[in-house]
Amino acid sequence: MKHDKIERNLGILLVLTMVAISVGGMVEIIPLFFIKETVEKVEGVRPYKPLELRGRDIYIREGCYLCHSQMIRPFRDEALRYGHYSLAAESKYDHPFQWGSKRTGPDLARVGGKYSNDWQTQHLIAPRSLVPQSVMPNYPWLATTDLDYSDINLRMRALRKTGVPYSESQAEYERNVEEFGADVAKYLHIPDAEKNLIGQAQQGNYDTNPDKLSEMDALVAYLQMLGTLVDFKKYDDDYFVKFR
Amino acid sequence: MAATGTAAAVNVNEQYNYDIVRKFTIMTLVWGAIGMFVGVYIASELAWPWLNFDNPYITFGRLRPVHTGAVIFGFGGSALFATSYYVVQRTSQARLFSDGLANFTFWGWQAAIVFAALGNVLGHSQGREYAEMEWPIDLLILFVWVAYLTVFVGTLMKRKQPHIYVANWFYLAFILATALLHVFNNLAVPIDLFSMKSYSLFSGVQDAMTQWWYGHNAVGFFLTAAFLGMMYYFVPKQAGRPVYSYRLSVIHFWAIIFLYMWAGSHHLHWTAIPDWTSTLAATFSIMLLLPSWGGMINGILTLSGAWDKLRTDPIMRFLIVALSFYGMSTFEGPMMSLKDVNALSHYTDWTVGHVHSGALGWVAMVSFGSLYHLVPRLWNTPMHSIKLINVHFWLATIGILLYITAMWISGIMQGLMWRAFDDFGNLQYSFVESVAAAHPFYIMRAVGGAFFLSGMLLMCYNVFKTIRKGSVGVEAVGIEGEGKLSPNAA
Amino acid sequence: MTELLLWFTNFENTKPLALLIFFTVFCGILFYVYGSKKRSKRLESYKNIPLEDDDIEVKGK
Repeated sequence: MKHDKIERNLGILLVLTMVAISVGGMVEIIPLFFIKETVEKVEGVRPYKPLELRGRDIYIREGCYLCHSQMIRPFRDEALRYGHYSLAAESKYDHPFQWGSKRTGPDLARVGGKYSNDWQTQHLIAPRSLVPQSVMPNYPWLATTDLDYSDINLRMRALRKTGVPYSESQAEYERNVEEFGADVAKYLHIPDAEKNLIGQAQQGNYDTNPDKLSEMDALVAYLQMLGTLVDFKKYDDDYFVKFR
Repeated sequence: MAATGTAAAVNVNEQYNYDIVRKFTIMTLVWGAIGMFVGVYIASELAWPWLNFDNPYITFGRLRPVHTGAVIFGFGGSALFATSYYVVQRTSQARLFSDGLANFTFWGWQAAIVFAALGNVLGHSQGREYAEMEWPIDLLILFVWVAYLTVFVGTLMKRKQPHIYVANWFYLAFILATALLHVFNNLAVPIDLFSMKSYSLFSGVQDAMTQWWYGHNAVGFFLTAAFLGMMYYFVPKQAGRPVYSYRLSVIHFWAIIFLYMWAGSHHLHWTAIPDWTSTLAATFSIMLLLPSWGGMINGILTLSGAWDKLRTDPIMRFLIVALSFYGMSTFEGPMMSLKDVNALSHYTDWTVGHVHSGALGWVAMVSFGSLYHLVPRLWNTPMHSIKLINVHFWLATIGILLYITAMWISGIMQGLMWRAFDDFGNLQYSFVESVAAAHPFYIMRAVGGAFFLSGMLLMCYNVFKTIRKGSVGVEAVGIEGEGKLSPNAA
Repeated sequence: MTELLLWFTNFENTKPLALLIFFTVFCGILFYVYGSKKRSKRLESYKNIPLEDDDIEVKGK
């Protein structure tokens, strides 16, 4: 009889603890999956092209997010230094998000187009050759390592499973044409991924070495598109307040 | 390493499974030394970037997850396994539920940490802070955790003592919460069954909320609740007197586990999350101050009437200073969660300093104190040197003070420099000027870390000597039941 | 029924409701823990558990 009671007590303790720790998380997170306004649709935001996606993978591999944020806050100094504050929609295809939590280096949310490919490549190889006080590590191997894109289809398919609109079939492709326009939709088509990746690298010549498709090509391609998708000139200053 | 669990097992080894506690104790020290060494190294990389040696495997970005993994899950995790297995057995007066499962948690956990570190060095990362391990390791951790829960609950069910002592409540909440956090934060789609690479199931805002729900509560339950469990056993034991108020500990428990889970999104102030989540998180963060300080006061007042122990017993000093740092950082935390303070402090070194005042000051110090209490009882011999414990205490304390002072100064300086305007309304400083200005403080931080590390190494030496001298299996005379060191020892 | 469910989805309703529920629960716990002298005595007696185990061990020797 006594034993029964004891067991019940442990069971109650387990259940009550579980309830207490679950409530907070549920109340804060679950609504975000249902409230439409959390991520407003903003024109221009699109999934990553294959080369950019590989670049992003390298960004994550090297742990760049540990020193660089990708989240501009709505302050005057950040607007002057980095540009327009970040919108939720701008990271809606980011699996995982890369907002970061520390700025040992500057924010990169809108670094795209701020520097030339040349500068970016040189800066990644030897940051202190351009910025003497920098504490960033050198990444010379990025320029000498061939980019492995053999599994690009697998990568895009995995992302497709999470809900990123990469297209597998003709019907899906057409839907993408409708949503993103033909120029972008072409890059989101999984069967053509390898071709598109090589094409973008050759055309962009990101690592300033046309003979080699290196990891540097991918990473710089990624950096150069960061924050460039939304054309903020088209809108009033106050327009985006509701999307924050 | 001492031969553990031999046939010579007498009495105490039959009554309790100390073998598993010894194993985890040793690994706590090993991971502490490794993790803190890597920490000092990456701190030095920030002060002198040539230390990256153009070598991909030891760049800051790859070593930092090795550091966090080794200290949080290696050092902290092993300390929690060791103490929770010890405490649950002693307060239940029952032997651990299953030796086999307990051993599985040991080997599984160690393997997970080794694989995680190797994976990080080789560039396999989920890109989620404090959860960088890729999906196969996450699965291993999940199995270990289920085994851990089974062993812990199984032992509680065997208990001879009708009441479950409050320390076990904290351990239990930590185990449950960690399971919950681990599962939901690591939901991901692998690109192939034979590839380490995966993509998180959630994206953008939802992913950020999930990750910081995890990140915050990993601190709340792994690094706080569980170590409070440790505190509720080892402070009374070392002091030789019961905890100040048991009723307060009950209130403390329910309040802290309930409130903690709400505060996660204060890590995302001013970002692209809905405003109401920010406000809610800030409110709960302020409320958290109450149970946090309730717990601290409960721990410290346990010593009331025996304050002289602080002078004579360095182990007691570790425990009480740990509680003081706990009080300090749980005051700093809610303050930093105020949106206006956060606007300045976020993204700066201040955050790093805050984390370390909690991690070094609270987590590591309370673990040191508890282990110094534990080791003589596990190996049936007094500590090799009480003097060295004292030296360790001062090395650790000086190390922490250097570390957090450096980070306060550089953090606040960065925050102010980033938002400074000149007379014409332009930004006064370029970003890199703030980097250059932080340089001396990065050196100071590395020095502080080195102090702390040397204390850790001293502890390893001290414990090693103790183990060499000690034995397993024979009941010690003169250690148990005394609950204190001889007064002339210090 | 659906109307009731919809009422819950509105945060302006659920936030005060949650506050009310949890505040009540908290007061309940407070009352439970500090309300009765007898219970207080019983609860406080548990704080000796960590210190009692030594005795048992001595007996086992």
